[in-house]
Order: sequence, then structure tokens, then C-alpha cells
Amino acid sequence: MIAIEELVKQYGGFTAVDGVSLDVKPGEIHGFLGPNGAGKTTTLRMIAGLLQPTSGRVVVNGHDLAREPEAAKTSLGFIPDRPFIYEKLTAGEFLTFHGGLYGIDGDGISDRVHEMLDLFELRRWENELIESFSHGMKQRLVMSAAFLHRPRAVCVDEPMVGLDPRGARLIKDVFRRMSERGVAILMSTHTLEVAQEMCHRVSIILRGRIIATGTVDEVRRMAGDGDDELTSVFLRLTGGSGLQEIDEIV
Amino acid sequence: MTQAFPFLLLPHLWSSRNRARRRKKGDVLRASIFGSVGVVVCGALFAGAYWLTTKLAGYEEFGDYLLRLGLSWLFLTFLAFLAFSGVVTALSTFFLADDLRLLMGAPVSAGRLFMARFTRTVGQASWMVIFFMAPILVAVGVASCAQPGFYLTAALAVVPFVVIPVAIGAGMTLLLVNVLPARRARDLLMLTSLLFAAAIVLTLRFIQPERLMRVENLPDVTDFFATLQSPITPLLPSFWAGEVLFAGLQGGSDLLHGAALWTTALAFTVVLAAADRRWHFAGYSRSQESPKARVTSLRIVDAVAHALPLSTVRRQLLVKDVKVFLRDVSQWLQLLPLFALVLLYLYNFRALDLERIPYMSGVIKNVYALVNLGMAGFVVATVAVRFVFPAVSAEGSAFWLVRTSPVSMRDFLWSKFWTGLVPMVLFTEILTISANEFMGVAPFLKVVAAVAVIFMTFAMVGLAVGLGARYPRFGADPNQVAGSYGGVAFMIMAVLYILVMIVLVGWPSAMWLFSRVRSYPLSASREAMMAVSFLLAAGLSVATWLVSMRSGVRALDEMNR
Repeated sequence: MIAIEELVKQYGGFTAVDGVSLDVKPGEIHGFLGPNGAGKTTTLRMIAGLLQPTSGRVVVNGHDLAREPEAAKTSLGFIPDRPFIYEKLTAGEFLTFHGGLYGIDGDGISDRVHEMLDLFELRRWENELIESFSHGMKQRLVMSAAFLHRPRAVCVDEPMVGLDPRGARLIKDVFRRMSERGVAILMSTHTLEVAQEMCHRVSIILRGRIIATGTVDEVRRMAGDGDDELTSVFLRLTGGSGLQEIDEIV
Repeated sequence: MTQAFPFLLLPHLWSSRNRARRRKKGDVLRASIFGSVGVVVCGALFAGAYWLTTKLAGYEEFGDYLLRLGLSWLFLTFLAFLAFSGVVTALSTFFLADDLRLLMGAPVSAGRLFMARFTRTVGQASWMVIFFMAPILVAVGVASCAQPGFYLTAALAVVPFVVIPVAIGAGMTLLLVNVLPARRARDLLMLTSLLFAAAIVLTLRFIQPERLMRVENLPDVTDFFATLQSPITPLLPSFWAGEVLFAGLQGGSDLLHGAALWTTALAFTVVLAAADRRWHFAGYSRSQESPKARVTSLRIVDAVAHALPLSTVRRQLLVKDVKVFLRDVSQWLQLLPLFALVLLYLYNFRALDLERIPYMSGVIKNVYALVNLGMAGFVVATVAVRFVFPAVSAEGSAFWLVRTSPVSMRDFLWSKFWTGLVPMVLFTEILTISANEFMGVAPFLKVVAAVAVIFMTFAMVGLAVGLGARYPRFGADPNQVAGSYGGVAFMIMAVLYILVMIVLVGWPSAMWLFSRVRSYPLSASREAMMAVSFLLAAGLSVATWLVSMRSGVRALDEMNR
């Protein structure tokens, strides 16, 4: 459903993403893990059509993003880490506009907007300006926009940041339900517990390259210990905890 | 169903509607002030254009000739502005606007996105030109007793006229964003602003408007206009628009030049759309990449700060403020147009040949010292509202650092004051002294102006810092902060203060001036009144400065409670 092949992104002499390939199947929740600056967000932004790859190919729902950008984007929902929302629109207006961007209009849009506002527990604030929303409410609004057009694949960058436990639980439930309905979800996250709990498969990226891919168990085995928590495995694969240095400094 | 491109403009319309419905404190005041200023400007333009057109109408064919040239010249004046405005606006609308992050990820065709962005670019880049042009054209029509068709012709000519230069500007932006190795879009803005500032100065030097002031040249105005004509003039859209309007004024129509305007506008739009389809995504992609930013270490700032007798806290606040300001190109860049205008101001007065009116030159020169004082005051107010007033707000989301550290709000705010004051005093003193020097103002008035400007700068910087602390808008863009309720309140108070200062300084200066011109000595009582007036001016300035600062400190302290 989301397939990327040998994706490369260079900024001048610096290679941010270096030959990344991934395949996220329908119904799969795929965790995209890596330390800060590893190339996760850059990869997701290339899949969403916001950044032009230096080379490589992105295919969403069978549509090549470079050749059929509109068809590919129609199948995709993107939830960025720092989303843009029109602060002076109400939640209802924002979702109506968002639906229009994906070709949903007429009578259907109003019902669909209400469905999404109900699902993400925002119906009470339908006619309030977004500028008055808390961070968590904005996050939920962006998610409702991403799912509004019934995408076949979803790319989400750090979905749990700033959410309270209730909000986080809601998002996890929505992702699971979407996955059961065959939606492919590629999720970048730093919260390894979330990845361990939700993802069917994970990929770990380091300095622009995928260094491990598989189920959580497979990745554990790659790291050499089948019983560790994902956090320990992640630290081992990406370069240690640095605790010794911390002790020396403190 | 895919919606037509105007759909993409809806959020802006909805946002404006919501903003109008849910007004904030000061919105009505701000709207009425700006609205009144707009009405006054429109009225003045209408009156001026009406007067000029009726005067020209008295010259029969010669008047027609001048009117025809004048219309062409009017459009020519706006042509360069529109192209420059197109470059800057397109940079924002096509490449830097925040909502592109949403729109570029949505299945919006390149053509629809282009049309929506281009419409927005044309609107944003040209509204000011249309605002200035409309009352002039209406006045020309009314004064010439034009038929209703003239106004329709004017509307039909102005639309393609603004599209052409904006399309050229947008094309230049598209090219530059894709070609320049340094992808930082602000550098591009700096480049274009510098070019524009230089172009203004060069254009004015080239035109030499001071020649019109020479008595022997006055009857020969046609020569002046003729110098503006060149072999390429008939190829410019400004000429076509002028011709179309002139034909409309005569009750006829100029289909050839009208067609030239529309076909060129459409052709430029089509070519730009094709170029946009080919290069926009690459340019957009480049413009949002975050490469290693060029960091200038600005060691000299550290060195200067260490040489000053400051506490560690004040030194660090000073270093931080100066470095943040200097590294943010978009901030200090906004000073360039102001500097260009000041240069023109000085140049124009330097170029005035007042010796040709001998019986007036002495008085005019010295009155100019007072005009210059007012001008310096307005420059200080303008710079202060944009750079000093937002100083507290500019701390933004980092203000917690100051609030949680053992720094008193008094120290913090006074640091902001001195940081704003020093460059401002230097700038206004240089401006005032050099302008008075150019004009050969009497030494007494030179000293009065130089001292008064110091007092005025203290007062207005204090007022800006104090009100900025009373009405902060953390996290807002500095331009928005300047236009906020507090910013407008500052401008009103600053203007009132300047007017009072001009009276308090101007009245005793005028007494002294007339005693000199009429060669009679000043009586002791008059000298005493002069001294009182000067003291009142100084007292008002000191009070404005200190009361504002105290009020600002109190507001910040209350924020912590």
C-alpha cells in the first residue's frame, strides 16, 4: 500500500535519507523508529509529497507519487509532527475545507465532518475558533482531517506527542480500527512502548539508512537478545545509552 | 468532484469573516484609525488629481497632451513597484506560506494551486496600487466630465496592467528560488529589497525632479516629461494603459492597446503557469529544506558588551538581543526602505535651490530645522513601533527563561530600553545634524534641534518599551505586534507627543528667528518665556520616558503575580 524504493534525499553534500526502502502492507501498522535527526521526518515528508526526493520512488495505493501525484495523495492521509491549521477557522470550517481538498463536498461533507468530530470527541467545539484549542485538541483535529476522506494509507509523524492518556488511548484505538479495515499505517514515533504495543512491524533508521526491519521479535533477535524491551534493543542498535558519560558529567 | 481554484481561497475569506465577527480589544479603534487615514489619503489624492486635471483642461490641446503623458507616467510609476511587490509577495505565497504544508500534501492539481496562489499574489501585491490609483482616476474622470464608460474602461485596463508586472515578479521569484545556491529565501528578499532601494534612489536621481523647481525651467515642463519618454516607452504596459484611458476620457476606445494589455496579461499568466508546473515543486522543496544555516559569530558584539560597564545579567541580555536582531535578516531588512526614504528626503532638500528665492531662503532654511525635527520624530516613532515596541513580545515562548531566572523585571525592561535607545539616538542625531548642515541652518537652531532630538528619542523609546511591556503579544510576528492595540496606542501617543514638542520647541525658536530676521533684540521677558517653553519640552520628555518605563515594569511585575 505504501512502497518506497531506494529513496534518497541530499541537502547539498549532506545525505539525510540514504537509499531507504519500505513496504507497508494493507492493514499493517508499521513503526518507523530512529534517534533524532536520523531521517524519519524527511522520509515521511517525501512520502506525503512535501519534499522532492533526490532519487528513488514512492508508490501509494499503486500510484507513483511522481507521475500521478493527485491519485497518490487522494489515497493518503498525512499527519505531520507540526501541522498547519488555519487558526481563524472553526473546527467545522477547517474539516469542510479539508474535505473539499479531497473532493468531498455537497450534502455528504456535513455528515462526514460530524462523524469525525464525534469520533475524536470534538463535536462540542465544532463552531469554536481553532486558535482557542489546546495542543491535544489541535492534534485530534488534524487526525480527524487525515481520516476524513477515508484514506487507504496513513503516514503519521509522532502521533502521541502532547496527548493526555485519554487522547493517546483514543488515537491508538482509532489506528487499530483503521488497520482492521485494511488501512496501511506508517507511524514514526519516539515512544517505543507505543511501537511495541501497536506495530505489526518496525523499521529502525539511523543516519539515513534502515538498519533493521521486521516484527518486534525479529528486531530483538537481530540485536542479539530475545527478551529485552524494545527500548534496550533500540539503544543497542542505535549506539548505546550514554549513561557512563552522564555519570562522569554529573 | 474537484472544486474550482477559488475554493482554495475560501479559508482566507472565512478567516476574515470570523475575525470581523469576533473582534478583539482595540480592533474597532485600529480599524477606525486606519480607515480614517485611508479616507483622508483618498480624499487628498482625489482633490489633487481633480485640481491638476481642471488646470490642464484650461490649456486646450497642450493640456490634453500633458494629461495623456501624465496618465502614462502614472502607470509607469506603479509598474516597477508592482514588479518588485510581485517578487516579494510571490516568495511568500508560492514558497513560504504556512498553509502550503497543508495544500501541497493534498491532491490539488498544480494548475489549481497555481491559479489560487497567483490570484492571491496579484491581490496582495496590487491592492495598494489600486488604492492609490482609484481616487486619481475617478478624479480625472470627474474633472474631465467623462462618460460612465470611462470608469468601466479604467477597471478593464487596470486589471491586466497589474497582472503583467506581478507575473514578471512571480516569474523572477520562481527562477531565483530554483537557481540560487543559497536557498535561504530571506537572502533573496534582502537582495531584492536592496535592489529596490537602490532603484528608487537612482530613478529619482535620473529624473532630477529639482529641475522643476528652477524658475527658468518652469514653463518648459514638456521637456521634463519628454525626458521620461524613450524608444521602449510604447512597448510598456504603462503606455498602453495610459492610451486606453486617454481614449476613454475622449469618449472613444483604443482597442489596439486594450487588446495588447489583455493578450500580454493572459500570455504571461499562461507562460508563468507552465513554468510553475515545471519548477514549483522543486523550488518549494528547496525553500523548506533546513540546511546548516550560516552562523555569523558576531564576536564584536561580545567584545563591545564586555567593554561596557554592565552587570553580567544586562550584558547577556544585550548580547542576546543584538545577536538575535542581527541574525534575523528579515528584521533589519525592513529598515532599508526607511533609509531609502530618508536619503531621498535629505537629497530632495539638498537639491532645492533656495538661493534663487533670496528673500525667502533664510526663513525657509531655518523653518526647515523645525520640519526636520518633526520628521526625525516621526522616523523615531516609526522605527520604535516596529523594532522597540515588540521588544518584550519578541521574547515569545522563551520569556519563561527570564521570568524563572533571578532577574528583576526592572533590569530586564531597562536592558530593553538601552538596547533600543543607543542606535536610535545615533541614527536620529546623524539625521538631524547632517540635514541641518546641508541646509545651512543657523547655529542656534542646530543646537536646539540636536538637543531636542535626544530628549524626543529618550521619551519615545521609553514610551515604546513601556507600552510594549503593558500590551505584549508573545509569540506573534513583530509586524502583528506593531499593528496590535498597544502598537496603535503607541503611535497615537507618539504623534501627539511630537506635535506638542514641535509647538514647545518651535514657538521659542520662531521668536528667536523673527527677532533675527527683523533685527530687533529679544526682551528679557521673551527670553524667559523661551526658557520656560524649552524647559516644558524637556520636562514633558523626561516625564513621558520615566512614567512609561515605570508603568511597563509594573505591568511585568503584575504578570508574575
